[in-house]
Amino acid sequence: MEVMDTMEGKIPRLPELFSWTDEGVRIRSAKCHDCGTYFFPEYHAQHRPDCPRENVEKVLLSNKGKLNTYTIQHFMCPPPFKTDGDIAPYGLGLVEFPEGICVAGLIVETDLDALSLGQEMETIDYVMYKDEDGNDVATWAFRAVK
Amino acid sequence: MRDVYIVGTGEHPWGKFTDRNFVQVGEVAVAEALKDSGARWSEIQAIMSGILIYGGNAGHLSGQYIEGMFGETGIPVVNVYNACATGSAALRMAYNSIASGETDTAMAVGVDMMPKGFLTAKSDDPKQDRDVLRWRMTGMPNPVYWALECRKRFEKYGDTPEDLADIKVLLSQFGAKNPNARYKKEYTREEVLNSKMVCDPLRLYEICAVSDGAAVVILSADPKKIQAANKPVKIAATTMGSAMYGDPTIRISALSAPAKAEAPMLSESYSASRQAYEKSGIGPEDVDVLELPDNSSWHYLQYLETCGFCGEGEAHKMLREGQTQMGGKVVVNPSGGFSSFGEAIGAQAIWQVVEAADQLRGRAGERQVPDCKVAMAQTYGLMGNSGTTILTV
Repeated sequence: MEVMDTMEGKIPRLPELFSWTDEGVRIRSAKCHDCGTYFFPEYHAQHRPDCPRENVEKVLLSNKGKLNTYTIQHFMCPPPFKTDGDIAPYGLGLVEFPEGICVAGLIVETDLDALSLGQEMETIDYVMYKDEDGNDVATWAFRAVK
Repeated sequence: MRDVYIVGTGEHPWGKFTDRNFVQVGEVAVAEALKDSGARWSEIQAIMSGILIYGGNAGHLSGQYIEGMFGETGIPVVNVYNACATGSAALRMAYNSIASGETDTAMAVGVDMMPKGFLTAKSDDPKQDRDVLRWRMTGMPNPVYWALECRKRFEKYGDTPEDLADIKVLLSQFGAKNPNARYKKEYTREEVLNSKMVCDPLRLYEICAVSDGAAVVILSADPKKIQAANKPVKIAATTMGSAMYGDPTIRISALSAPAKAEAPMLSESYSASRQAYEKSGIGPEDVDVLELPDNSSWHYLQYLETCGFCGEGEAHKMLREGQTQMGGKVVVNPSGGFSSFGEAIGAQAIWQVVEAADQLRGRAGERQVPDCKVAMAQTYGLMGNSGTTILTV
């Protein structure tokens, strides 16, 4: 699998959170092989008590998971959140990945009123704004699998 | 360990006070507590103070600034932060100092002046402060976290928008009668349901505001102080809890949670409350008044379950049957709650204890719960912070 830190003029707003791959956008995580816990972000470890913490490996989560819960935010989030224009109302949700971890993110390109818990979701990128160098600055997001 | 009593309490009314600084707001509460207890300032042997995270260096040394106002006496002055459970930490330290015999009389102080609007990240380093991530990458103000959990309750247990609105209605009826409350308007269900949707299913009136305020308690094990006090209140237990591995709650500032639960939801509050029940030998069935952290209507329902006042998924039943109102099984937030006061991070936990003590001391006026013998104050702080205090007369 090819893993890329940028994609066709798109750069992440903050590094080490997600990657572009030839198998879709993937959330970056780390797995502790000692206690079985997955972390997100990969650098915020939260081990099981008494874990030896010796065998932590960086991994990519599956591209697809299930909608664990969601909300529709009706007001624009204040800075430092930043998008080109006011995107409210916007969706936010938790997606449960088969690895056993739920990750939060924006829900875009989806009919928000049609969302239902348990439905299949996929990880995508979402361009928030264009920076001074002309890069499309992106975050990870989710949308319903059609 | 010896018995410790609340011998005096004080509050500054809650609101937004742009013309005053935190020492001036704190001064009012400290002076009231001293007067209530009959103690002189120089008799206070330790001060445990909740800090103001938005108050710069002075805010982080709030105890010294307040001590300076009343006169420096060389006693231990310790400043502490545990998010919205900050006051629980201050109170617990004051309690332990006395119970262990280190001091006979000590003070727990909480004062806060909150910035207007949203409380955004206080650093720029995502590797160190995961708060940075949610503000930059996902746009998630605090109420979003509560809405995500609330949605699950709707789906799992059948809570309704009317339940959420009715909670605001009940709290506003108490708040209207509390002279120290910031919001004193009584709302109808319709008015609440017509308030703006903030993050589905939570509406504007179902989410608490941020306020300025102060609260103080003076604790003592000195028989003379206890005897001189106007209705002393015994602290049956005051505990703190942190989160437990495998807690499935999506915790404020985190962007992930375990998919499979290996601990109770809000495990920090589960832990704090169970420690308090064990230490005091008092259970939820004995509690007459419960001050719970109603940051939103979701909290009201969830905390009834988390603290064991009903089974999982049964909180809306308690609400609908009137079991949380005057004359019910346990009167919940007769103070009016954060819904009527707003939250002031460093002060709110002590404020809850002062309000609970007022009920036990028969000082709650029109909101007085008859024959109140046991009261409990429960806090909720982000990143796994919680405290429980059980009081008796």
